[in-house]
Amino acid sequence: MAAEPGLQELRELVAEFQPGRGHVLPALHKVQHTYGWVPRAAIEVIARQLNTTPALIYGAVTFYSDFRTHPPAKYEVAWCCGPACRLRGGEAIREAIQEELGIGLDEQTPDHRFGLHVGQCNGTCHEAPQIWVNGRVRGNLTPESARDLIRSLRDGE
Amino acid sequence: MNARLQKLIADAKAAWQAEQASGRVRIRVTLDTSSIARGAEETLARLRDAAASRKIDADVGITGSWGFCWMEPCVSVRSAAGTHAVLYGNVTPDRVDELIDAIAAGRDLPSLALGVIEGNATPDIPLLEDHPFMKGQVRRLMANLGRTDPENIDHYLAHGGYEGFGKALEMDAEAIVKEVLDSGLGGRGGGGFPTGRKWDFLRNATASPRYLICNADEGDPGAWVNRILMEGDPHLIIEGMLIAALASHADEGYIYIRYEYPLAFERMKKAVAQAYEKGLLGKDILGTGKNFELIVFLGAGAYVCGEETGLINSIDGYRGMPRIKPPFPAQAGLWNKPTNVNNVESYANAPLILRNGAQWWSSVSDAKEKGTKMFTFSGHVKQAGCIEIPFGPKVRTLLEQYAGGLSGDLPLKGFQPGGPLSGVLPASDIDLTLTLDPYRERGMFLGSGGVVFFDQSACIVDLCLFFLGFCEDESCGRCTTCHGGTQRAVEILRRIAAGGGRDADLDNFEKLIGTLVWSNCLHGQFAMTSIKTSLKTFRDEYVEHIVDKVCRAGVCKGLMPGRWARRAAPQPAAAAAD
Ligand SMILES: Cc1cc2nc3c(=O)[nH]c(=O)nc-3n(C[C@H](O)[C@H](O)[C@H](O)COP(=O)(O)O)c2cc1C
Ligand code: SF4
Repeated sequence: MAAEPGLQELRELVAEFQPGRGHVLPALHKVQHTYGWVPRAAIEVIARQLNTTPALIYGAVTFYSDFRTHPPAKYEVAWCCGPACRLRGGEAIREAIQEELGIGLDEQTPDHRFGLHVGQCNGTCHEAPQIWVNGRVRGNLTPESARDLIRSLRDGE
Repeated sequence: MNARLQKLIADAKAAWQAEQASGRVRIRVTLDTSSIARGAEETLARLRDAAASRKIDADVGITGSWGFCWMEPCVSVRSAAGTHAVLYGNVTPDRVDELIDAIAAGRDLPSLALGVIEGNATPDIPLLEDHPFMKGQVRRLMANLGRTDPENIDHYLAHGGYEGFGKALEMDAEAIVKEVLDSGLGGRGGGGFPTGRKWDFLRNATASPRYLICNADEGDPGAWVNRILMEGDPHLIIEGMLIAALASHADEGYIYIRYEYPLAFERMKKAVAQAYEKGLLGKDILGTGKNFELIVFLGAGAYVCGEETGLINSIDGYRGMPRIKPPFPAQAGLWNKPTNVNNVESYANAPLILRNGAQWWSSVSDAKEKGTKMFTFSGHVKQAGCIEIPFGPKVRTLLEQYAGGLSGDLPLKGFQPGGPLSGVLPASDIDLTLTLDPYRERGMFLGSGGVVFFDQSACIVDLCLFFLGFCEDESCGRCTTCHGGTQRAVEILRRIAAGGGRDADLDNFEKLIGTLVWSNCLHGQFAMTSIKTSLKTFRDEYVEHIVDKVCRAGVCKGLMPGRWARRAAPQPAAAAAD
């Protein structure tokens, strides 16, 4: 698992952001973009930089579903929960993947190789039902092909 | 027109003409989120490699979406002489060689052709405009898509880009507002409120600075019209915001893009940077003394941030919880300063209105709603794609002509006009028009353009469970009516789906419907719409679930499968109950 970055490093990372300029989300994005997640220490550093309270920053982190408070897995699997996917058998895809990985939504495998979470429709409904593996659409799945895909990722290392 | 703008446009046109007359084969690959999902990046790379290795003098580039999302990657090929160009679909990476062979031999590839886009039809390939998917479409917002490079501001300038802004520069704010009012442009984010009136509110505000926000949160699952525009022609949106800024004396603008649209975010950022470079944004725009700063802002995954005051709080850095109105954004919005929020498509229409006049713009539609509207469609359809049509056609046209009909052999059960708050309607309403009134009259709304069709394999309880589950997850938590109410509705639906439905449940729904209308924002107020509308038209199906313990679609696992259950469904082969 990735170590928490140091305070000095974090301070430098968010030094460009200013109070009262709508910089909370941009600062959080920069941290997550750099480390793949938002470490605890970053919350305090951003709060100080933006002259606000850690509670407010933490409030934002937990409100938005795309900020991670733990390091990402090697393969982050987003299961699209949109209507086209659901109509075309998305639930069965989720069940197959959960069974194959032995985890539920918002969980990671113990070896941190796979994480599973809900993805919101990005308008590639022509590929329904689909998942995104590290942001890449893998569509037109059947429960079998979804399992095969997970297995091939697992074996591909 | 402003002399500097005139020069920018003249230079861009000259460059475009030179490009056209280069004597090289021109290959354009649609590169957007939809095509990338179908391998367009690899198609592009292979086309470049193959052209180089086979010494074909080709200019290979990218463009926006033609709307044929289900047939991506789309690739257009224009002959070296520039007299003939064909659009191809389904050019997946494995078909690149075939296409390159044809190009090398100087012939077309009819097996993949969608139509001729320049020059005459051939015996094998009709004109694209005669393709059933293109007939009846009027492409104004989408005029550049498929033709220009969205990452090149000169391409935009060479096609009438920033001319509307040029005209607006010579008008006073009131006249711009009047032109937009005269056009009849209504907000495309779902409400249909006259855009000109909103600009006038801001124009008349007394405090400063004033802000413009472009709502590119497009959170309705099944809607991707804003994404198609941002990825395909980002400058149209920037120009629209510039015109709005002149009309309302705004100082600064934000384009708030949802996290799920990383490519749209990159393209908008690139376009804004180019506009700054050309002097179209920033201080002393084109030497006119006018200023307008534009910031591209990335959301972080929250549906309620599409609600305008939730969005404002989100930029502010707070949890994106909708505010209590009044005050309205025009009085106290971003940092409590006067603010105007419009949808992407609303702003994108402004350049067309200014460039061609309100009369031209509105005459395209016979309906009460003026102009064209973009729609995307998905679900149990053969073709999930995007179109632009004048307001007025029926839902049936969308399904049968543009979506190519249903994908399976089961009959249509119903559709959702636009987003999880908009409600569901039965197949018998298929002849409603895609305009605002029919849905308003039913206590629902048309929404922002993402229509979802479903056939008899869908279960109404399961669908409502999905919509209510979405509303529960995305409730900001401010109102007990909304977060508690959606939670309660989900519990009841789950119980019904699991076979534990009770006689009192339908009354419970009615109580919840009566309670959630007291929520603060439209999210809570409309969260029950899918249950409300389906209780009217699909009541039998609820009763079957609750009393007979039968799910006719065979979706609910706790119940006996009924007449529409697919044989492949993993249910025991119980006798059909109806
Ligand atoms: C829960 C919720 C989500 C919304 N999502 C969007 C959205 O994604 N895009 C949008 O333009 N409007 C959305 N709206 C409507 C906005 O609040 C606002 O009315 C709209 O942006 C105004 O723009 P318009 O006048 O150009 O339509 C949403 C409203 C609610 C209640
Ligand atoms: S209605 Fe729902 S989303 Fe809107 S403010 Fe209340 S709790 Fe938040």
